[in-house]
Amino acid sequence: MIVWLAIVCAGMLTFATRFLPLSPLMPKSLPDWLQLAMKFVPVSVLSAIIVPAIFISPETKTIVIQDNLRIVAAMVAIIVAYYTRSTITTIISGLSVIWLLTLWQ
Amino acid sequence: MSSGINKEAIGEFLAGVKDGLPLQLAVFPFGIVFGMVGLDAGLTPLQTFFMSSILFGGASQIVFTQLYATGTPFTILVTTVSAVNLRHLLYGFVMSEYLRHLPLNWRIVLGYLLTDEAFAISYLRFTQQHSSDTMHHHLLGSGLILWSCWQTSTVIGIIAGPTIPDSFQLEFAVPLTFIAVVIPSLTHFPKIFASLSSGCAALIFQFLPFNLWLIIAAFCGIIAGTASSYLINEGDKKTEEKQ
Repeated sequence: MIVWLAIVCAGMLTFATRFLPLSPLMPKSLPDWLQLAMKFVPVSVLSAIIVPAIFISPETKTIVIQDNLRIVAAMVAIIVAYYTRSTITTIISGLSVIWLLTLWQ
Repeated sequence: MSSGINKEAIGEFLAGVKDGLPLQLAVFPFGIVFGMVGLDAGLTPLQTFFMSSILFGGASQIVFTQLYATGTPFTILVTTVSAVNLRHLLYGFVMSEYLRHLPLNWRIVLGYLLTDEAFAISYLRFTQQHSSDTMHHHLLGSGLILWSCWQTSTVIGIIAGPTIPDSFQLEFAVPLTFIAVVIPSLTHFPKIFASLSSGCAALIFQFLPFNLWLIIAAFCGIIAGTASSYLINEGDKKTEEKQ
């Protein structure tokens, strides 16, 4: 039940951020500094998820660098993303690297 | 006269659908990953399915599953997920110039459909074309094609997810999907600096309770990016003055 409530609440807040600026009652624009700051929201949130997902071990919950296959797979994915700009190629290349390395071990 | 306008409206709508199609190549795998990790996080298939239409924001939905799986309290979960979508305010303000005059039901539908992709596609159209009475149909088209693909790919993920064994480490598809989104956007220094700052902060603040590290790290990134943009612009102004 609480999950549904969370989905609906987050959904309503999200809809409000998309809909309210289209209302004639709202000011026509945001202050410059806020417009600038908002451009950094996606890159910041996503990076904050990417980095721990690579470095933090799901088992020990600590930062693991040695023998961490996810670092290698992520580096391959970053290079692939940079050159191909393709979501599917990036996901498949990263997953293939981690599967191959796991088999290798 | 009115049939002429209708024809024009349908033409705009179809142009929106057509312009949106190439982007669906990126949307589809993203949606499949979401469907899979939704179940993996312990959500029911129905919750996963309906989140795609109630929230309708890819990154925020994946953040939801990650926070839910680690037992984040309600308020922090809702705040963090909604914060991920705050950028849409920006799209709304940019688009309002073209959409403010529309009747309320149009603004509700177009507001709901105003995602990163639809914004990018239709904003280009709005700025390149002379304004017309039917141009908002373009956003309806680009929004609806995205919406349909997002729902379809979520369902595929929900169905396919349970058939894939744990040894495939599918949860790793989450950072990979986000790498595919972030890397092409790192086009200038402030973006790179924001990304690195937020990534480091995410590691440093891991010890905080309730997954607060996520929102704090995001803020570090936003501040780093904004501050460095200002400094770089100041520097540019000074060199201009010297010349």
